[in-house]
Amino acid sequence: MNWRNVRLIFLREVRDQLRDRRTLFMIAVLPLILYPGLGVGMMQMTVLFSEQPRTVVVLGAKELPLPQLLDGDRFVANWFDEPAKAERLRVVTEDALDENDSGSYQELADLLAAAASVREAHREYERLAEEREQAISRGDEREAHRVAAHLEAAGRRRSQLFSSSGIQVLIVVPSGMREKLAEANGLIRERDIAAGEVEIPKPVVLYNVADEKSLVAYTRVRHVLDAWETQLLKDRLRMANLPEALPTQVEPETIDLARAEERSRSLWSKLFPALLIIMTVTGAFYPAVDLAAGEKERGTMETLLICPASRSEIVFGKFLTVMLFSVCTALLNLMSMGFTGKYMASFVLGGAMSKAGSLAPPPLAALAWVVILLVPLAALFSALCLALATFARSSKEGQYYLTPILLVTVGLTVFCLSPAVEITPLYSVLPVLGISLLLKELLAGGGAYMYLVPVLVASFGYAALALWWAVEQFSREDVLFREAERFELKLWLRHLLRDKGQTPSFAEAGFCFVLIMLLQFGAMKVFAEAAAAGPLTDFGGRTLQLLMIQQLVIVATPALLMGVMLTSSIRKTFRLRWPGLRFMAVGAILPLALMPLSVTLAEHLGWFFPPLPDSIQQTLKLMNTDSVPLWLALVAFAVAPAFCEEIAFRGFILSGFLHSRRTWLAIGLSSVAFGVMHMIPQQVFNAALLGLVLGLLAVRSNSLWPGVLFHVLFNGSHVAIGRLAPSVAEDGYSWPLLVVCATVSAALIHWLVVTGRPRPKASSEDAREAVFREEEIPLHVG
Amino acid sequence: MIRVRDLSKSFDDLKRGRVTALDRVSFDVHPGEIYGLLGPNGAGKTTCLRILSTVLRPTRGVAVVAGYDVETQPAKVRAHIGFMSNNTGIYDRMTAWELVEHFGRLYGMDEDRLRERLEEVFTELQMNEIRDVLGSKMSTGMKQKVSIARTIIHDPPVLIFDEPTSGLDVLVARAVLKAIANLRDQGKCVIFSTHIMREVEKLCDRVAIIHRGRFLAEGTLPELAARYDEPDVEELFFRLINVHETLYAT
Repeated sequence: MNWRNVRLIFLREVRDQLRDRRTLFMIAVLPLILYPGLGVGMMQMTVLFSEQPRTVVVLGAKELPLPQLLDGDRFVANWFDEPAKAERLRVVTEDALDENDSGSYQELADLLAAAASVREAHREYERLAEEREQAISRGDEREAHRVAAHLEAAGRRRSQLFSSSGIQVLIVVPSGMREKLAEANGLIRERDIAAGEVEIPKPVVLYNVADEKSLVAYTRVRHVLDAWETQLLKDRLRMANLPEALPTQVEPETIDLARAEERSRSLWSKLFPALLIIMTVTGAFYPAVDLAAGEKERGTMETLLICPASRSEIVFGKFLTVMLFSVCTALLNLMSMGFTGKYMASFVLGGAMSKAGSLAPPPLAALAWVVILLVPLAALFSALCLALATFARSSKEGQYYLTPILLVTVGLTVFCLSPAVEITPLYSVLPVLGISLLLKELLAGGGAYMYLVPVLVASFGYAALALWWAVEQFSREDVLFREAERFELKLWLRHLLRDKGQTPSFAEAGFCFVLIMLLQFGAMKVFAEAAAAGPLTDFGGRTLQLLMIQQLVIVATPALLMGVMLTSSIRKTFRLRWPGLRFMAVGAILPLALMPLSVTLAEHLGWFFPPLPDSIQQTLKLMNTDSVPLWLALVAFAVAPAFCEEIAFRGFILSGFLHSRRTWLAIGLSSVAFGVMHMIPQQVFNAALLGLVLGLLAVRSNSLWPGVLFHVLFNGSHVAIGRLAPSVAEDGYSWPLLVVCATVSAALIHWLVVTGRPRPKASSEDAREAVFREEEIPLHVG
Repeated sequence: MIRVRDLSKSFDDLKRGRVTALDRVSFDVHPGEIYGLLGPNGAGKTTCLRILSTVLRPTRGVAVVAGYDVETQPAKVRAHIGFMSNNTGIYDRMTAWELVEHFGRLYGMDEDRLRERLEEVFTELQMNEIRDVLGSKMSTGMKQKVSIARTIIHDPPVLIFDEPTSGLDVLVARAVLKAIANLRDQGKCVIFSTHIMREVEKLCDRVAIIHRGRFLAEGTLPELAARYDEPDVEELFFRLINVHETLYAT
């Protein structure tokens, strides 16, 4: 790469962007005015905002025992931790009608009537529920079934009445509550044990959790009722000459040790990673679209392509520009937001924030981490956006691609915000997640330094991959010279079926993989239900049968169907040709040597992956217990996957990916697809590694069969050893054996890589030479 | 300077299936010569010139430009050619001077030589008054001049012009053609595509008539007139195209 060209292109692009008012506005001006503007807006909202009191209807308020719960149209202020909060709940009782002489009489009457009808509906529901219980206890299933239908209708009616009543919480105090409580109190005073047997009718509180207002009102009512009941209990204890503090003897003293800066740090650790990701991606996107799609739109793409700079130099120069703008946008946004937030926190939120301590600015070290981790993040997004934007024909089309990127990023951000999610070895090597979680940890003051290297290496790795993809896009004629053609489904389908190649195209292979994944996702529920139906004793066998059906229907069938419909040579697509004996020998020996290595590797990498959920572990265990016959296990785990997965992944998908004309890229992609299909993280990793070997075997032998043999023997030997020599599976393989296996594997793989490599054809080179050498040759005219 | 043998280019099209845009084309262009590609729209002229400028890769065949292979030494080829077409626009947010200077630097020119050459080219093309005008503020004629300046700034031995006069008014078109004729007089190897007969007659030393990706005839204008017994270029052009169309239809 000629760095002078990269620098020239970079400098030109930066100058060009700086001269573009739109970009400048988005990157520099918007952040500076957006947040102060939002701050002013928020302040005004705060002034205008006042909370409406929520309506609580209490039916049968007269039956409430002392201490006094209600005070006119409010709860007694004592029951709130802050007495002013009493104003937020408006209480309506039957008495309100008597006392009221103002214009709101009708409204109160309506509310009470609605409350009464909800109460009736509730009573009807209770009655039916009891009827159903009785029918069930009688064993009268038909009657129970009939009542259940009524019960369902009653429940629906109760909810509907409540929703349309305008009441947020309805408290129904049962008649006789005060009386029964007094009776029990009398017995307590006499120290009569029968006090416990007095059945005091319980009030019912109705609310609707799906309605925000109702939920808020209920939460407040719940606090009030708890405080009131505690006082009720204390009163009863006093009456019985017992200490009031009896129920709260072991009330521990709780002390919050968080210091002000720790609280702020905790806030920053949640806020910064999320904001950083979103700002970086938006900061990268607009310049990327302008630099790639915009270049096509303005008709300067070809001007650039005919300059001596290579495609990778052009892309690299553009990439550095996008990255610079991405980093600047993110930093400017964070700064502007930080200053505005701090400024506002100092006075607007005085009340609320004073409790949490004043918002301390993040420490310098934290800011340094932000900057360090911003670089790989910006690199990844810049390269990704550039590749996508190159693909777009126009700026407008480019903008459309922002939505999926933003959606995925926001999804990841929300995931990272969850307090339960912490950085783990696996997360540390995942794109975006690793950086985000590491930053969260570092900002919160946790010492996750050991993850720094893997996160940085992985992130730059992904960025390099994305950049390579961008260069690829920039080298594709069909991408660079895509013309705005009208898309017609009919034309496209005809094109698919008419202009079939011998093997599938790259896109068709990709689609096959997506289809397999979608089918797998769609069938998950069906298979889980089918496995769960029936007796547990037969669970393993049943699951294995389902596994075979799944392989056949979801993995092999789509690939076969697509092969038949979209290619003109089934034989070439699926490599249905007899290979040389040497390759069959490799297919027979290599799996036996690799299996112990693969198992040992998986065991040693156990720490890297999150533990499997119990349900999956249980299923895996049940699937390979002795209750399942060995032949069934072998067919399900070895034979079926060998045929089905090889047909799909080394047949259709690999053949399609080979259209990229890069053998190793095709093998790599097909093995990643093969890995991803295995869903469980542990298996994904192992399968992807094996996919590399299987892909190599398929390409070198140009046949499906060595791979099938490999697959059968690899899976089969794994299952068989688990069954027949469980001690080996438990204790692991001995080191000498592993060394032998490693040597054999290395030798065979090396042979595959080197010896089987097809030699480049010399004829095209000769033709080239001839043209250079020729002096004068007759021209082909007419 | 340009040597093309059996050059073909095909691509997939949704509507037409596999399209052969250029079909086994061979020709040579020498220094001090203007070679014209004459053909209707969609004949394959642009495809051919794009391959020569290494923007597209040939499906088969060999093309050697200024002694370098377009497939294996594309960077070398690009360094030794000047390419201008309808699709090589200029940047809106750069002035004429900045743009030509930028490309001069990309061509690896040292600063002294670049400065000298800039002055020379700007004077020659009478562009001194638009030195500091931004691309977005230029008229079509000005833009075309800047494009020519960009094409010749590094003084390349081979020049490729793809319909350089399309969309221009008569005055500007005349100036462009004059500039191209000057380049030939300086000993450059020029290949030039057009669908305007007048331009061919005025400018080209040799011409190839291209239709549906194929060369229908090739030679100097007197040679063609003699071979087909048709002194009028326009008539000759229509006759050849008609014959080919009839053959194609059957």
